[in-house]
Amino acid sequence: MRAELLHRLEPQSLFWAAATIGLYLAAHALYRRHARVWTSPLLVTWAACFALALALHTSYPSYIRGTQWLVTLLGPATMAFAMPIYEQRQLIRRHWPVLLTGVLAGSSLGFGSSWLFARMLNLPAGVCISLIPRSVTTPFALAFAQKVGGTPELTATCVVVTGLVGASLGMWILEWLPLRTAFARGALFGMGAHTVGTAKAREVGELEGSVAGLTMVLAGVFSVLAAPVFAWLLR
Amino acid sequence: MFRQFARQVRGNRWMQAGALVGLWWCCQWLVRVLGLPAPAGVLGLVLLLGMLLAGLPILWIHGGASGLLDHMVLFFVPAFMALLNHHELLGLVGLKILVVIVLSTLVVMVGTALVVDLCMRGRQDHAR
Repeated sequence: MRAELLHRLEPQSLFWAAATIGLYLAAHALYRRHARVWTSPLLVTWAACFALALALHTSYPSYIRGTQWLVTLLGPATMAFAMPIYEQRQLIRRHWPVLLTGVLAGSSLGFGSSWLFARMLNLPAGVCISLIPRSVTTPFALAFAQKVGGTPELTATCVVVTGLVGASLGMWILEWLPLRTAFARGALFGMGAHTVGTAKAREVGELEGSVAGLTMVLAGVFSVLAAPVFAWLLR
Repeated sequence: MFRQFARQVRGNRWMQAGALVGLWWCCQWLVRVLGLPAPAGVLGLVLLLGMLLAGLPILWIHGGASGLLDHMVLFFVPAFMALLNHHELLGLVGLKILVVIVLSTLVVMVGTALVVDLCMRGRQDHAR
């Protein structure tokens, strides 16, 4: 425990934590002035950190040693979704059948299309299985991958890429798909790009953000419930 | 003394965020001890929602919860850096995986949005 703490206080670890937070604050300020898809703080911060790590020949283990605690905060952040859900409780009470239908449809499309496209491109079976839960938020996707027999590490990477791709794709889809209800816009982000999408949906609107958060959580719970069925199907 | 403490918590988003982290920590302990299949964040979400519905004033957590949600993007960045570890994904397999992700995400987003939009419109027409 103490050795672990000392590791975290190493100059290199402190440097990476400070660099990540500093670059994020800069990206945040940039986004406030020029709000475009390609200036999204996630993309800019990630690209800058990635370039810096490559330039300094830093490996992933030494990067993550100093920044693991930031990832840990995703747990409390997931928990914080209780607040927007609570604030929209009237709406949820009124429209829960729609939400449930959306989650069932979205999950089936996500699992099915990932598997189908992966098979069509002749990817190895292990990769195909790891791709199935990619539209579900990380903790659930990992639980799914472990149960069904994918590679958790690969699944985690695909989930992360899905979030990044989905958040940008989602904004683009909103421009040309005539969606009349905030529920549809929220479900699109929550189902297609999990937590990253939910953060994006909060930028679109308050209600969109809550629906996205709720859809994401429901989709996660559904995937864990559906995992044994998939394990049996893909045996 | 309790009142003074309560006033302090209501006004300080850092303290609220700290309390949320504390609650999450307890959830993690519970998940481990009871061997629950759900991640701690989700157990915490359910517990917190229950507490709010049972009458916990929302002002007690509002600042901290909004802070965590607003800066969630920062917590993702280190996770994305895992790509440093996967140089094999920069080749053909990685390209194929990217194609699968883009196509499948399009299908999921458009499909989900259309289904929900249709359902909502149906209900609104019905209500009219």
